[in-house]
Amino acid sequence: MASLKDLKTRINSVKSTQKITAAMKMVAAAKLRRAQDAAESGRPYSTRMRQVIGNLASKADAASAPQLLVGNGKDKTHLLVVMSADRGLCGGFNGTVTRQTRAEVTRLRAENKNVKLLMVGRKSADALRREFGDLYIDRYEGLQGTSVNYSDAAKIADAIRTGFEAGEFDVCTLIFNKFKNAITQEITLTQLIPAEVDNSEAGDGDAAAVSYEYEPEEDELLASLLPRNLSTQIYGALLESSAAELAARMTAMDNATRNAGELIDRLTLVYNRTRQANITSELIEIISGAEAI
Amino acid sequence: MAETTQLELVTPARIMAQQAVEMVVAPGVEGLFGVLPRHAPLLADLTRGVVELHQNGKVTDRYMIDGGLADVSGESVTILAERAIHLGSADAAQLKTKVADASDEEADFLNAAIAAL
Repeated sequence: MASLKDLKTRINSVKSTQKITAAMKMVAAAKLRRAQDAAESGRPYSTRMRQVIGNLASKADAASAPQLLVGNGKDKTHLLVVMSADRGLCGGFNGTVTRQTRAEVTRLRAENKNVKLLMVGRKSADALRREFGDLYIDRYEGLQGTSVNYSDAAKIADAIRTGFEAGEFDVCTLIFNKFKNAITQEITLTQLIPAEVDNSEAGDGDAAAVSYEYEPEEDELLASLLPRNLSTQIYGALLESSAAELAARMTAMDNATRNAGELIDRLTLVYNRTRQANITSELIEIISGAEAI
Repeated sequence: MAETTQLELVTPARIMAQQAVEMVVAPGVEGLFGVLPRHAPLLADLTRGVVELHQNGKVTDRYMIDGGLADVSGESVTILAERAIHLGSADAAQLKTKVADASDEEADFLNAAIAAL
């Protein structure tokens, strides 16, 4: 059995761990509020944008429409944009992204497709480097957290667009954790190029049926709209992912704090029992010593 | 009450405005255009300028936007703008302090907003 001193040390170390996890939980909770607000208030913009684009894509003529909208007709090389966190200690958050990415790469390879990866966030990039490091075309770090920046999103979007126009890939898909509520995140795959035609929206209104007038001309409008849509979708995903990360960290740290509490209780019990046993055996020694005289 | 159209002004950060108005005037790339209820569906690219909300024949509210997209249907106008400032509640001094620590592009926009006040 461990000595009293050892037990004391362990209890103290678990206690300080508990303090750290409790503090991290508080910090995550405080930041989550802002990130959640940002993610939720950013949703209308990206949803509307997606509706407009989906609407345009469903009507677009594959031959004449811009390739960013309808794709370049090929389906050979896929680019996966993977969004994970820069920091760990957030439960299954990064693991989910990593696992999903691995599954997706394996699936695409089985279909004989080429795969390229664009990693946003440090954790998944590090986790997958050994397996798929040669597929990385770029890595971004430090974009997430409480201050998600639209211009950062635009930078990534630009890189994607340039790559697409240079014919480096044919299909672009975004993998990220969507913030559902403070305890659940949902791993989401969104196809960015070609734009996803949103069939679910088409049926529920006359919006899909009407034919639009365009100002300026359709192709000119699309040329300015599509890059903007790309940045918007990435920005939205960054916001969602940041909020989801904080939510995941909050839950994970809450669990950790609770586990530490349980551990402390158990250790304290053992400590007290050991102390009792020590006292008892000392008493026995004294008594039997006295009897011997 | 006269017929109205539902206006929504949305930026990536939040929904700036959501209300029923009689007319919206928006800065299209090919010039200002007004949208009344039952307007034909229109998708228009917007440039930097002022969006005006009209009620009872008068301008009730103004927003400065930095380009964007207007999605007009018979009963609603949705304006998607990357940046927007509510000119009714902004004041020049406050905007000027923001100019100081903004990026060039943003400072440009803020200056334009100050000029439009």
